[in-house]
Amino acid sequence: MARWGMVIDLAKCTGCQACSTACQMENNRLPGENYQDVLYYTERAQPTPVLKWFPRPCMHCEEPSCMHVCPTKATFKTEDGVVLVDWNKCIGCKYCMIACPYGVRFYTDEKPTIEPNVKDVFPGTGDLSWNPPYKGPQQDNAHGVGIQPHGVVSKCTFCYHKISKAPKGTPDLSNDNPALREFVPACVRTCAPTARYFGDIDNPNSEVSRLISDRKGVRLLEHTGNKPQVYYLGESGAVPGFSRPDNKS
Amino acid sequence: MSIITHAPDQASISRISNLRLGVGIAGLIAGLAAGIGLLSGGHATFNTSSLLTWGLPVSTYVFFVLTSTGLTFVASLAMVFGMKDFYPIAKRCVWGAVVTLIIGFISLGLEIGNPLRMLWVIPTNMAVSSPMWWMGLFYLTYAILLVWKFHLINQGDWDSSQSRIIGIASFVAVIFAHATLGSVFGMMSMRPFWYGPMVPVYFLITAFLSGLAFIMLFINLDYGVNHANMSEGAARAMSRQLPAIFGVVLGLVIVFTLAKTMTGLWSNVPENKIVTQYIASSALFQFELWIGMVLPFIMMLSSKRHEATTQVVAGGLVIVALFIGRYEYVVGGQLIPMFKGAWADDLIAYAPSITEIGIIILAISVGILLYALGDKKLNLSDSPRK
Repeated sequence: MARWGMVIDLAKCTGCQACSTACQMENNRLPGENYQDVLYYTERAQPTPVLKWFPRPCMHCEEPSCMHVCPTKATFKTEDGVVLVDWNKCIGCKYCMIACPYGVRFYTDEKPTIEPNVKDVFPGTGDLSWNPPYKGPQQDNAHGVGIQPHGVVSKCTFCYHKISKAPKGTPDLSNDNPALREFVPACVRTCAPTARYFGDIDNPNSEVSRLISDRKGVRLLEHTGNKPQVYYLGESGAVPGFSRPDNKS
Repeated sequence: MSIITHAPDQASISRISNLRLGVGIAGLIAGLAAGIGLLSGGHATFNTSSLLTWGLPVSTYVFFVLTSTGLTFVASLAMVFGMKDFYPIAKRCVWGAVVTLIIGFISLGLEIGNPLRMLWVIPTNMAVSSPMWWMGLFYLTYAILLVWKFHLINQGDWDSSQSRIIGIASFVAVIFAHATLGSVFGMMSMRPFWYGPMVPVYFLITAFLSGLAFIMLFINLDYGVNHANMSEGAARAMSRQLPAIFGVVLGLVIVFTLAKTMTGLWSNVPENKIVTQYIASSALFQFELWIGMVLPFIMMLSSKRHEATTQVVAGGLVIVALFIGRYEYVVGGQLIPMFKGAWADDLIAYAPSITEIGIIILAISVGILLYALGDKKLNLSDSPRK
């Protein structure tokens, strides 16, 4: 069984946010609920500030704290290493959102980040929180795929509706092989500078394994012990610690 | 029934009883009016977000379930540890513990996305790695034992072996319940403001103080703010032992609060230092510390600590301080955005919405009315006949 993981090469990433947009389209995300986000931050102060960016999906950790704290086992890890939410079991306590060190989880029923509220424009029917005119993946509540029902938490699925259909034993899912393109996660498929790689990190012959090994891939916030399955290449594999703007310290 | 040495001032007792009923009904209406947004707009009417997930309803839950814990502790002084002076207030404490537990659960139930789903997914999935699962298990056990214990003493069964065992079991269950509630926060190493093995101990001590403060305020009010209206035993407990215990526990909580604040200010960890700086410089914290804790502590050191009026004021101030403390604690652990870069470059701004405030007014009002009902129908001043 594969253990899916992702490699993001920060030396190639241009911060264009095509990954975020593709993810939104693929997974019917609402504005502000970016499963795949690109964080921006500045290093150094005036007069020589440097704008930096950092692409950040769910880390699909080996030891996901979000899963361990879930009181109903709604958050679970698949055999192929993907962390998902079973919306049929989620009670909406939001403890997983508290416990995720990477801030990559979203609750359905929140104030809209922009007006008009898209949920009001396309009101949901039945249990679904909204009803977009175009729906991406087939609804699969047991794997947290599709339109969120009310009162649950959702997150990046590594496009589980795609990768779970890939032929068994595939070491890498990349655009290079036309036969596999349909199974490539949306953010990887759309990445113009090919800064993203997706494959089986347990398979020593996969490209992701070789990249992690050869270029000394790093994981985010290692001290939390969550052991992400998303690795970063390049020199900027971290986001600086929090500090308030100078005038508010 | 204990002997009442003086003729109780029924007029003032009845006046306060009516006032309580009025406040309960008015609160219920106000709470329903403010909380009605939950029906139409769902949790989108809350000011919480994916950045700051738990707000006022969760801190209210923590406050009231811990108060329930504290009230059980005080009742246990008589029913578990045999301190007979506390028998005359024990039944009132147990009923108060039931009511505050209900207030807490209402507040939490209205905050959760799918509260009814809990009934089958929690027992059928056995998520034993989750502190919250254990919290639910122990609070359920505690709730059953508490109601059972109240039923027994309401039947006049104070001292049978069954009654004693249920009392001891509920005391043990509540210790585990509060400890796991503390762990829900204290085990979150990714949130340094909460993290630490002392959190369950901190919750234990503040829970005890919370229970004591409720007794100081509400039992005095029940008797028209006059110990002469109480039975001899109740008056003795209220004027002698309780103020002393209250003072000692309050002193410990002040030390804990100062230690946590100073540790936070000294720390280099932004999630601790910046949040503590932010909280310590707020008017709420200054009120909590000086008016809500230090002033009542001074009152408990004075000779007036035996008087009902002093106790009502001190109890009320401590309740307000502890409520602020719970809010600061729950919200404080989330003020620093978790990994958001420039999308959230400062502390997260949060103030409860009208709906959130409405929910807690509703929950508290239900509690007030339940307590009033108990006061009228359940003979809460009862105690063992011997």
